[in-house]
Amino acid sequence: MTINHRRSLTNRCNALKSTGPRSVAGKRASSQNSRKHGLNSAPNFESSLEYRALVELIAEEGFSAFACADITAGLLNYRRVMDAYYATYTSPEPVDEFLRDANVKASNPIFRELLSPSGSEPADVRDMAAFFCEHAEAGAAKGWPGIPPLFGYS
Amino acid sequence: MPVEDKSKSLLPFLSSPKLLPDESEAEFQSGLQSLLSELDNPSSLAVALVSQLNECLWWVRRHTADKELLLHEAMARLLSKAGNHWDTYDNHKVSEALERYLNGSADKGEAAWIDDILAESKLTLSDLRVRAFKDAARHIKMVDDLIHRQHQTMRHLQRSIDSIGYKSRLIKRMDLELAALESKQHARGVLSLDDKPS
Repeated sequence: MTINHRRSLTNRCNALKSTGPRSVAGKRASSQNSRKHGLNSAPNFESSLEYRALVELIAEEGFSAFACADITAGLLNYRRVMDAYYATYTSPEPVDEFLRDANVKASNPIFRELLSPSGSEPADVRDMAAFFCEHAEAGAAKGWPGIPPLFGYS
Repeated sequence: MPVEDKSKSLLPFLSSPKLLPDESEAEFQSGLQSLLSELDNPSSLAVALVSQLNECLWWVRRHTADKELLLHEAMARLLSKAGNHWDTYDNHKVSEALERYLNGSADKGEAAWIDDILAESKLTLSDLRVRAFKDAARHIKMVDDLIHRQHQTMRHLQRSIDSIGYKSRLIKRMDLELAALESKQHARGVLSLDDKPS
């Protein structure tokens, strides 16, 4: 069993016990989980004040009513996209605390030792990982793809 | 309406592009004014399109700086991992020292420190840059794609601005042709009157 496989099983076990982020940084990161840019929603420009004012400005240049509506919607949509682009550009990337810790450990010689199975995880996590490993191996021996379910329903 | 007034009248509707805290509003506006000065009596629509063009140029500038920053951070990361110095682990510290070193504004201690790490990792500055480029290539390519998109948008905007100019040129030409036809018609009328026997 590779360390990576053992590690991923340990993470799954830990995830089951998780009650959500506790640190300020973790809460800040997870608060952005459902963040959306809103560009997939259908815009309703026609009812806005900006739309009517822009249509009037463009109509002064001799465009047809259809062309005015089209150009104005294009201009406002462009602004919407660029504002979302700016918001995405300036918002910090959500921090995956586990990956960050792993990166710190991997890049620093002293922490590398902590990545070994005997160093970092508490005994109960190691036991649970070992249980899942045995379970997966048993599944593999029976020819099941991936990790088999723990409980079967008859 | 003067060009400045036109751009100001459009801004509340198009919301002016947001700038980063360290960017100069005056520089952005001067870029816009220099683009507008190239147009002869631009319409409101042309002003709107030119302001978008200026924003695209601004984004290209931002992303170009981002590329340099990515390369710099990759160099700092490589340096901070080099050798066995604990104090070199601080990425931020190495990054700042390297920036001053490359600008030539580093003090003797900092310069010696960077030289030491380079010597320890058996790298020259150009080697470090090449390796950093290799490390950051994926991210640099992403930024290049963003720049490419801005260039495409600029091309579309230029076409739109040209088509607005073409429309006004076409109307002017048709007015002139109409005036020429009217004067011809008038001349023919005069001639036909002259031909009539008294």
